[in-house]
Amino acid sequence: MADEIRRFSEELARDPASPVYLQLGEALRRGGQLDLALKVALRGLERHPHQADAHDLLARIAVDRGELERAFDEWDMVRRIAPAHLGARKGMGYVLFKQGKYVEAQTYLSEASELDGEDETVATALAMVRVKLREADGARGAQGARGAQGAAGPALEHVEHLEHLEHLRLFEEITSEGGEHTALLLDATGLVMAGTYVTQDGRDVAQEVGAELSGVSDEGRRAMRHLGLGDWSSLTVETDAAVVAMAPMRDDALLLVAASKAMPLGLVHRVLDRCVERARTWMKKGGA
Amino acid sequence: MKANLTSIISALTRQRGVRGSLLVDETDGVIIDATLHVGMKGPAFAALAASLYRKARLSADAAGLGGVTFLRLRATEGHVCAAGKNEMVLVIIADARANIGLIRMEMLKALERVAI
Repeated sequence: MADEIRRFSEELARDPASPVYLQLGEALRRGGQLDLALKVALRGLERHPHQADAHDLLARIAVDRGELERAFDEWDMVRRIAPAHLGARKGMGYVLFKQGKYVEAQTYLSEASELDGEDETVATALAMVRVKLREADGARGAQGARGAQGAAGPALEHVEHLEHLEHLRLFEEITSEGGEHTALLLDATGLVMAGTYVTQDGRDVAQEVGAELSGVSDEGRRAMRHLGLGDWSSLTVETDAAVVAMAPMRDDALLLVAASKAMPLGLVHRVLDRCVERARTWMKKGGA
Repeated sequence: MKANLTSIISALTRQRGVRGSLLVDETDGVIIDATLHVGMKGPAFAALAASLYRKARLSADAAGLGGVTFLRLRATEGHVCAAGKNEMVLVIIADARANIGLIRMEMLKALERVAI
C-alpha cells in the first residue's frame, strides 16, 4: 500500500490536475491516514468541484471520521451531480441505517437495488434493514401499539421471503452488544457460511475477506505442526484500524471477529469465544 | 548491518519463554536472519509464517483495515507472533506460558531498529 501511495503521490505532483487524487485519497483512507486523505480530497475538489466521485470519496472519509451527517450531505451532492450514482444511494442508506432510520434507509437502498439489481451488497444491506424493520415492528406489536404497526407496515413488504437470510444474523445478538464489531463464519474455501462483514462506508466485504483468508486454518495447522506446538486455537491480527481475531472450526472452517482497535484484546477474545459456541451449535443443527 | 540484525534477533530470543526469533522476507519466505533453539525447522517454518502474515495483510487490505501491525497465533503448547515492516516479517516462537504482552512490545521496538 505504501508503494501505491508513493506512486499516486508522484503522479499527482507531476500533474496536479490529474484525477489520480481520487486513487490517492482512497489509498490513504484505506490505510487509516484520514487527515491526509481529507486534505487530498478537498484539494481535488477545489480543481474538480463537480466531480461526483470526489464527493463520494469525501463522504467515505467522513464516515471513517465518524461524521455521518457530513457523509450524508456529500452523498446527497453526488446524487444531484450524478443521479444514477449507485454508491451515493448505498452510502445514504448506510448512514440512515446507522442512525436507526430504517424506513428512510430502505428507501435509498431500494433505489440502489433498482439501479443495479445484481449488486449483492445492496441485497444484503436491504435484507438487514428489513430485518431491523421487522424487529421494530414486532417490538411495537408486543407493546400493543397498533397505530405504529400500521405506519411501518408498507415498509415490511417481502419480509416473509427473508427467512433464508437468517444466517446473516447468526452473530447479531453477540456483536450488537457494546462496541463496533462484526463476525463471519467462512468455510475451508473462504466462502461465507454465516454472518456479515460491512465496512464503515457500507460496503459488504465478506466475500473479499473470505477469499483472502481461505486456507488460513490449514496454514496455521501446518505451522504449528512444524513447531510441535499442538493445535492452534486462535489467530489475532492487529491492524492500523482494527483487531481481527479468528478461531478454527470443524472441517477447516474459520470464524472471524473484527472489532474496533479501541476494544480491549481480552474482550475481543471473549466475543470470539461466544461466536465460536454459537457457530458450533448452528453447524450441529445442520446450518452448514 | 549483519551484526546489528543478529544482536536485535538474539536479544529477542533471550526474552523469557522465547524459543526462537526469525527475520523473514515476506515475499518469498526466506530467512534473513535467525536465532533458533536446536532442532527447530527454520526454513520451513519461515515460509509458513511469511505466508500467514501475507494472508493477514491482504485480507486486512481487502477489508479496508489498513496495515497489519501485529499477529499472534496461539496454540495449545505455545505462540507464534509476527510483526512486519518494509516487506520483512519479524517472527517469534514462544512457550505457552510466555508473557506475550511483553514480547509484543519488544518485537515492535525491535522492528523499529531493524533498518535495511
